[in-house]
Amino acid sequence: MPGWQALHAELEALGVTVVTVALDVVPEHTYQWIDVASPTHPSLIDTFHVTDDLFGFVNIPMAIWIDETGTIVRPAEGASIERSPLRDMEIPDGLPERMDRMFREVKKIPDDAEAYRAAVVDWAQRGASSPYVLTTDEVIARSQPRGDNEARAAACFELGEHLRRTVGPDAAVPWWREAHRLHPANWTYKRQAWTLVTTPEGATENDLMQGPNDVYVGNWLDDVIAAGGGEAYTVVPQLGG
Amino acid sequence: MILTTLDRIDPAAFADRTGWAAKPQGLCRGEVCVPAPGSLRDDGTIDVEVAAARLGMPLVHDAEHDVWAVGPATATGRALSTAVAADPELIARDGSPFRLSSLHGRKVLLVAWSSY
Repeated sequence: MPGWQALHAELEALGVTVVTVALDVVPEHTYQWIDVASPTHPSLIDTFHVTDDLFGFVNIPMAIWIDETGTIVRPAEGASIERSPLRDMEIPDGLPERMDRMFREVKKIPDDAEAYRAAVVDWAQRGASSPYVLTTDEVIARSQPRGDNEARAAACFELGEHLRRTVGPDAAVPWWREAHRLHPANWTYKRQAWTLVTTPEGATENDLMQGPNDVYVGNWLDDVIAAGGGEAYTVVPQLGG
Repeated sequence: MILTTLDRIDPAAFADRTGWAAKPQGLCRGEVCVPAPGSLRDDGTIDVEVAAARLGMPLVHDAEHDVWAVGPATATGRALSTAVAADPELIARDGSPFRLSSLHGRKVLLVAWSSY
């Protein structure tokens, strides 16, 4: 969040507003992350993950670019602007096996932060003349695939969240399991569900390892490996045209 | 979109959540319109089963709690059927409502993140 706030401050005078939206069904989980950044940009919370189905977000961080007329000029894609220190971390010997493997997969996640940040700055400076601005046809064609399974997964996730709020946590589980089965490439549906069952009660931060649990079939490490490893984990921005 | 009944769905609510507005030429989102005869009833409400079928939206039902969810359209086979940005109501850190349309006239970099 501090990085996005810094980018907003840098580009605001060029007519760009950074808007951050947290895909979190429990708003309170976002507050410490938002507050530490002291944002002056709109810092929003999407408690039903509606931006997943309206814009095609399937993981975080992802972003879309919207021009002055309200037209999307780049669809949802991976959007890092700072290299994660985990990518360069030396993995210590003697870690538990799953943690060791998790770090190794994280280090394989493609790093496009420098190029992506430069593309955003170019758009801020050159607007529609930026080579990173796409046509409407390109925006639609490059947006995430959506067949019946993906659409049904979105409905299942939303139904599960509605039942979690109105009935209780257990009522969400069968619908979120189904969302995971139907759209395994949507990591926000999975990570959201996993973290709610693997984070110890009273913890101040969510459990990011999201390991094996008794509620859901998958978990972060095994699902990442099954999907092709860290290399395949993100929607890599196609900045070369 | 969560529904507790399939009857008398308000077109404004349908448009607000799905992005698809009932117009004389059909159901429209941005410049894209899908002919949808029968989706707008004589009483001005949406026949959601007809509308969902026309747009390729799944309808999912939880029988135990008698609640429905309408999924997004599959008309183009992609997440976006138009480049016109949807304008859902989101909430800000202070709980106040916020829409992206309030930023028309500026470029917007909309970034999704999470605490997990």
